[in-house]
Amino acid sequence: MNRSLGKTLLTGYGWLFFLFLYAPVALIVIYSFNANPINVMTWKGFTWDWYVGLFGGATTVSESSLYVDSTDQLLDALLTSLKVAFSATVIATVMGTCAALAMARYRFRFKGFYQALLFVPMVMPDIVLGIALLIFFVGAGISLGSTSIVIGHCTFLTSYVFIVVSARLAGMNPLVEAASADLGANEWVTFRRITLPLILPGVIGGALLSFIISMDDLVITYFISGVDSTTLPVYILSMIRRGIKPEINAIATLMLLFSIAIAAAGIYFKSRNTAQ
Amino acid sequence: MRALSRETTALTLLLAPVTLFLAIFFLIPLGIMAVYSLLEPGLYGGVEWSFYHWNYGRILGWADGFIEEFDIVYLQVLGRSMGLAALTVISTLLICFPVAFWISRLPAKQKNFFIFLITLPFFTSMIVRLYAWVLILRDSGFANQLLEWLGLISEPLDLMFTGTAVIIGMVYIFIPFMFLPIYSSIEKLDMSLVQASQDLGASPFTTFRRIVLPSVMPGVIAGCILVFIPSLGNFVVPDLLGGARVVMIGNLVEQQFLYARNWPFGAALSMVIIAVMMLLMAVYLFRVVKADSNR
Repeated sequence: MNRSLGKTLLTGYGWLFFLFLYAPVALIVIYSFNANPINVMTWKGFTWDWYVGLFGGATTVSESSLYVDSTDQLLDALLTSLKVAFSATVIATVMGTCAALAMARYRFRFKGFYQALLFVPMVMPDIVLGIALLIFFVGAGISLGSTSIVIGHCTFLTSYVFIVVSARLAGMNPLVEAASADLGANEWVTFRRITLPLILPGVIGGALLSFIISMDDLVITYFISGVDSTTLPVYILSMIRRGIKPEINAIATLMLLFSIAIAAAGIYFKSRNTAQ
Repeated sequence: MRALSRETTALTLLLAPVTLFLAIFFLIPLGIMAVYSLLEPGLYGGVEWSFYHWNYGRILGWADGFIEEFDIVYLQVLGRSMGLAALTVISTLLICFPVAFWISRLPAKQKNFFIFLITLPFFTSMIVRLYAWVLILRDSGFANQLLEWLGLISEPLDLMFTGTAVIIGMVYIFIPFMFLPIYSSIEKLDMSLVQASQDLGASPFTTFRRIVLPSVMPGVIAGCILVFIPSLGNFVVPDLLGGARVVMIGNLVEQQFLYARNWPFGAALSMVIIAVMMLLMAVYLFRVVKADSNR
């Protein structure tokens, strides 16, 4: 087999790979404009109706083919998701950043233990963590709701922030901090004026990552969300379980747009990160 | 001395939040779950506080049919879960390896763009990505319509609720986990060694086995573990794409907790998941990390 043929084959294979990665998601977007209310995957013409319906507007489709009883449920789920993701991100970012600073800048005896402690939550199968937290919350008498979800998310988000900030700290010149100390700045001033600005891109990157993972978490939330606090992914799972209706396509498309926007923000910060 | 104690204070302040948090909300819950797996299930949900090893006996085979009954179905489900997870690992590996190789040889700008395209799904909702496959594989889904339109079939095929559907779903959502570690180890591969091996007359297969494989192995193994663990305990993919026909151990755990309300038995099932996971991690630490430090 000659070389250029091999190369062509490999390139072709690469394009097939990206087709596999993106075509399924593209189908959702395309069919979210499908006017067919009964068979979602049979094209019957273009419509905005499913989007209009989502926002509670008047549509030409009959009520029966609409799925969300009221937009309120969906908005409630979205609001819970955003609230949970925001609180969990703040808490996890603070804890993860502190842990990263401690591990990078100090020598102490239980370092190996902390390394493991911060690694295990990321590889723990989420169903195991979900039910462990469920047993714990029920046993401790903590009622299931947004608070329990925030706590649950922080257990693994902290590790993600830790990894991202640690990577940033590892690429930083420790002499800058030493210079600041030599010039008479105390630890707090050095941290605020030197360390924090330098690791900030890492902290923001870690926070964005946590926000996305929290918004997306399904399994752990599924077990510890209780009756009246549903997040968006859990709500969508229950919708899909009840049957496929066109509105799910519209919701899914909006969610895709949202995550692409956040990912773009992440890339932007990362490029600033490396530019410095 | 004063400087030392200041340092200790700073360290304590930095580590206290994460230590307390993970101790209370991570280690203790896992500990309680381990204890639960050895307690007697109560009559109406809940538990009796007495030692009860039959939860494991039901799964692993020493339940004698008197107090609890051994049912081979649990081992079958565990076996099926491990089989499906292994097939997912093999498929992602076979799919990702050539692609990683291809991308690693491209100019930097294209490289970064493709890497971005592969990490982007990681940022998009997992449930949305799985939902795409529900739309494709359903009886009236995209795949059947396409095949019918092409004239290849006249009756819709049974694509949903099969092991294959579950594997496709898991491959689709876990591809980035396999790709990134493999890619970073291929990036580090010294191409001049490959060149040298070829110049010295080694066949492509020998070059691959003696030069390429040893240096990409750590990445491959890391990717395999990163895909295997979440596949093994998965319950969303089999729930959506496997239905009642392809039940995995995650579905059993979910049933015990949310429907059967036998929490101790559910806890025992997830201890089995943990055991498999720890076994894998142990193998990884002993084989790979040791090999790495010997180099």
